[in-house]
Amino acid sequence: MSKVLKILLKIFLCVFGLFAVTFLIYFFNLDMKATSMIEPFLIKHYDNMERKYYL
Amino acid sequence: MEVIKNPVKRAGEQTLGQLYNTGKVRKRREWRGIKDTFYDYTRWLYLVSVLARFIAVPRNIKGFFRYRWMANYLGVMHGMDKFTIGLRDEALRITHISMNYVIADVTQAIANCFRGDRRVGNDVEYSKRCVLTDENSMTCFMMGFDKDETPAILREVPTMFAANIFNQNSTTHYLDVAQQYGIAGDVCPMPEAEAGISIEDDFCVLGACAVQNNTTCDGSLMGNGIIAKRLEREYGIPTFQLGTPLRHTEDDVQDYAAQEIKNAIAFIEEHTGHKWNWDTYFKCAKRVNDATRKRIAQLEINSSPYPQFVGACFSLYNDTNYMGNCGRNEGFVKKDEKLLKLAEKGYKNKRMLAPEYRHRAIIWGVQPQYTIDMLYWLIQCWGIVPLADMLSLVNTKMIAEEDTPENREQAYYDMAMLNEEMIMRNHTHGGYKVLVDELWETCEKMHADMVIMWEHMSCKALTGMHGQFEEQARERGLHLIWVGHDLCDPRVYTREAIRNQVNLYMRAVLREEPLDPSIEHLPDDNAW
Repeated sequence: MSKVLKILLKIFLCVFGLFAVTFLIYFFNLDMKATSMIEPFLIKHYDNMERKYYL
Repeated sequence: MEVIKNPVKRAGEQTLGQLYNTGKVRKRREWRGIKDTFYDYTRWLYLVSVLARFIAVPRNIKGFFRYRWMANYLGVMHGMDKFTIGLRDEALRITHISMNYVIADVTQAIANCFRGDRRVGNDVEYSKRCVLTDENSMTCFMMGFDKDETPAILREVPTMFAANIFNQNSTTHYLDVAQQYGIAGDVCPMPEAEAGISIEDDFCVLGACAVQNNTTCDGSLMGNGIIAKRLEREYGIPTFQLGTPLRHTEDDVQDYAAQEIKNAIAFIEEHTGHKWNWDTYFKCAKRVNDATRKRIAQLEINSSPYPQFVGACFSLYNDTNYMGNCGRNEGFVKKDEKLLKLAEKGYKNKRMLAPEYRHRAIIWGVQPQYTIDMLYWLIQCWGIVPLADMLSLVNTKMIAEEDTPENREQAYYDMAMLNEEMIMRNHTHGGYKVLVDELWETCEKMHADMVIMWEHMSCKALTGMHGQFEEQARERGLHLIWVGHDLCDPRVYTREAIRNQVNLYMRAVLREEPLDPSIEHLPDDNAW
């Protein structure tokens, strides 16, 4: 196999791999599932911040 | 009305209930067939890139950890999914193009806020050029200022309004803060949450000056007072109160309304040191007219048997374009063109958004449809097509767009008219005609047989007309479904309680069965 074909194959595999991973994240809503797990920690962080209440 | 059946079977998922569970987000995304799933995936990638570019800026990370309301933006993709349930073909593309642009615009607004914010970016030179404006404000008084030289910062949009699109619980903490400080619980939760944000010192602090207006209700006035006090007395940001007449359809108030616009412009000139530019104004005026023409064209398509650009995204896009940018963002011209082309194509191909259309509805009243996917649910569950909503039925008149001495004077009246005819105000203020008569005129124009009447329990503007609406709908043979809610406080009216009012009417009064029974009841009360 020529060098060019090998490079093309590698590029194809990389692109396909990236597509497969991102598509799985997209379809199974893994992005939102992950961020929904982060939310409680963030809320705790905001609750612990000092505030200057003022009316 | 005559039932219209979709001759084309929807690709992919046929029942949508399987996507929901009791968690914060959905089980998985919808399978829409290869073509449309791939399209939806590419738009998801695009939004990932928008958010990645935002978070790559260090000061935005700092802002993310400083401001509680930023946590709501963890749910951006979820918000997008809410607005695309069951959609295919042109409707899916229209929703994505419009909403993606709104999201990009809001992302830029947050970035601008953080840049000038005294606690985050602290770009003093930038902050000195900025003008803060209300969330629910027609920004026409900024049309003669260059958008880069004198940016208008609608800081309440990302803080409160847009955050609520992505997370139904976004305001509850701030409502509690406001009520702990003695504000009554029965005012509109929108201004009350904004007041709570100010009390908790959770607004970005920037700007040479601010312009507030007597937006649309007594609740807004309540919130503005508290916010203005903090702006002026603690942060030294002078605040102008732009008073808009209540009887905005009457001739005798127009001189006053135009004078108020002149005063606001003079105030901005004084505090920013920038001068009003008529060339900039008339360029914006052309774009405002263009947006108006395109919106009218979209509504004409929606009055046909094959509506295309419908739902919350129609209203949100118009809000952002017409009110939030008011001709200052050139990008909307191209988007408007693209959206109209897609809608025309969909109409020509007789594309339908659901397997069946049983009812054509006008959505009236103060609406919570941003926080829930109610309008899309109406289409998919009951075959009710939301043709237009009250907030999208704004100005239809053209304003002067040629720079002449007469038009320079006319421009103040045009800006006053835009301000008077803005979202909410044009129908909730001005008396019986704009609130009641214009509903029936709209039903007739758009061939509607049903009205979904949002009844916001904390909004007093529509309450007085309750009996009038009922009596007159009966006279006209229109189905009027009252749907109670408490806007952005889901603890008072849950999503299921809101939807169930439609379910009861459809089953008990109309004796109809749902198109998709799997979504008649949804376990999404805990969802973002």
